[in-house]
Amino acid sequence: MSHGEQPGLASDEALVRRARDGEEEALSALVKRHQDAVYRVALAIAGDWDLAQDVSQDAFLKAFRGLGGFRGDASFRTWLLTIAANAARGALRRRGRRRETDIDTAPPVASELKGPDQVAELSAESARAREALGRLPEKQRLSVQLRVDEGLSFREIAEVIGSTEGAARVNYFHGIRRLREWME
Amino acid sequence: MSEVHCEIIRERLPDFVGGRLAPADAAQVQAHLGECLECRDEAALVELLYAARPAAPAELAKRIESAARVPLRPAYHPWWGVAAASVAVVALGIGVISRNPHAAEDAEVPGIVAGVGEASIWLADDGLVAGAPALEGLSDEALLMLLEEMDSGTTGGAA
Repeated sequence: MSHGEQPGLASDEALVRRARDGEEEALSALVKRHQDAVYRVALAIAGDWDLAQDVSQDAFLKAFRGLGGFRGDASFRTWLLTIAANAARGALRRRGRRRETDIDTAPPVASELKGPDQVAELSAESARAREALGRLPEKQRLSVQLRVDEGLSFREIAEVIGSTEGAARVNYFHGIRRLREWME
Repeated sequence: MSEVHCEIIRERLPDFVGGRLAPADAAQVQAHLGECLECRDEAALVELLYAARPAAPAELAKRIESAARVPLRPAYHPWWGVAAASVAVVALGIGVISRNPHAAEDAEVPGIVAGVGEASIWLADDGLVAGAPALEGLSDEALLMLLEEMDSGTTGGAA
């Protein structure tokens, strides 16, 4: 079973096959299943809520448009997240700026994104950890985020960030070490 | 505590925190955390990060699904560019605006995205994609302005 799937539900592979046949319900299921992960990757790179939504939409449409050419060498999820990462970088280039990493412009943390009830449940420490994550260099940030949030393997992370598996592992552990230092 | 063992555990922490480990593996990690302060500290950090992971805005899925149902248009063909091209066709007296379905191929109409056949693409509201005249909504003044711009070569991008 691929990441993000639940027992009893159709696999990504099955949904992709149905989507190729033009079944709208399959497309909707893929959107609902992966929208959070796509949005998080877009947000991590774009650092802007609105742009992250635009990028997420763009990534899904590009993926759906390319389903015919999707060979399944990687999982659909990894393939989709790679498209999202590329779309986010492209959107930033078109905006003519790189993502700032200082604290004032760090991407919004969950406490800012979720509703009042959820905010109340989030500890200040969680928000601080997330904020610190936003200050890591991009490859470390993405490696930590994809490993922790999405449960991707280092091989899958390497595909998304465009590195080797070893580099993804190093980026993850360097990122975690820096976060632990900052959180002490 | 062996460093090798700690390394294996630390690699598994995200899956442990996210509930993605098999019960036997989770029990092994849990047992290790009971003995190793270093790994327990790292597990605490991973838990903090995981608990605060952002979620997509509630309206995003609907937005994507709506967009996926509408045939895409190329971003590099602004409305005025298409309008100007249409004016050129009229001005040159070539004839009526073509409804040749092959024109839609350039618009990268994603059949799989739209989930519709070609016939419904041509019935879309969006005249720019459907190939219907794009000038219906323009005033006479706007049409004249477009013609003047074309004469002076300022419109560009109409091709």
